[in-house]
Amino acid sequence: MSERTVSILKEVGNPNKARIVAHLTKHKGENAEDLGKHLGYPLPTVYKYLRELEVARVVRSKVRDKTKLYYASDFKLEVSPKRLMEMFEEQSILSLYKTRFGDDGMKRLDEVANKVNAGKMTYRQAASTLGISYYEFVSLLDETGAIQ
Amino acid sequence: MSKKLIIDSSVLIVLSRKGELEEYLKKKKQEGYDILIPRAIARELTDEPKKLATGIKKRSPLLASSITQSIEAINAAVDDGLIKVAKVDYRKYSGVIDNVRKYLSQLEAKPEHAIKKGDPELVALVIQIYDRFREKIFISTQDKGLLRALKSFSTVVEYEALAY
Repeated sequence: MSERTVSILKEVGNPNKARIVAHLTKHKGENAEDLGKHLGYPLPTVYKYLRELEVARVVRSKVRDKTKLYYASDFKLEVSPKRLMEMFEEQSILSLYKTRFGDDGMKRLDEVANKVNAGKMTYRQAASTLGISYYEFVSLLDETGAIQ
Repeated sequence: MSKKLIIDSSVLIVLSRKGELEEYLKKKKQEGYDILIPRAIARELTDEPKKLATGIKKRSPLLASSITQSIEAINAAVDDGLIKVAKVDYRKYSGVIDNVRKYLSQLEAKPEHAIKKGDPELVALVIQIYDRFREKIFISTQDKGLLRALKSFSTVVEYEALAY
């Protein structure tokens, strides 16, 4: 799942922002003030929402006669438990490590983590033994709960 | 005079991943600590993760982006002066660095050149700062192996390991 999909999900997950997108789909090219009036949102809130929606590329704007007009961008979301699982699986260093080194790698990680916890090896030595960077090793400890 | 706190990379990495780095460093500043890291650590905090993020960007863009954010948080802390990068005097402390390297290579039966710079530099920096200020040095790390190495090489240095 791409980063863009996640930002869209995050934005339209807020019902107030989703209403703005829905409204702009019907009323193309409305300015912030009109949006606020139609939807009953305070103007600073409208500006904040529009800024965030633009960053996520859910909404785009054009300036006409010194007025900024807003439009809903075209997008399509496909959300399913499988897609969500893919999204969260790829967000961990542990899943990357598992993919790269498999079960043997996990076993070695366990052995090395035990040595590290007993103070028989430094984190840097452990990273070097596993053939990964120091950043990856510390992240693995963090993700497996070995660092509190 | 401010208290000297030397922070190991592991602490900075974990805090930056959680988005709590700035808050922690500011709190330590308020408590009167001057926060230091050796140069070798500064490199492993930025260069290595940057390489990792670039390598996984296509397959795992979200993870790559969160690693990049974590590097940026550390860089920002250095730029804002919350963390000072200290240079170890290699001429004066080369003996310490060599001995730590030897000690670690024997532990793992590995050649000395395979020992990463971070551990020896961190031990050398603790001794260097103590020699300069003659005050207790504070160290923040969860790495028991590193603390064990420090204990072996800094018998005259007064230091305290801080939980974070």
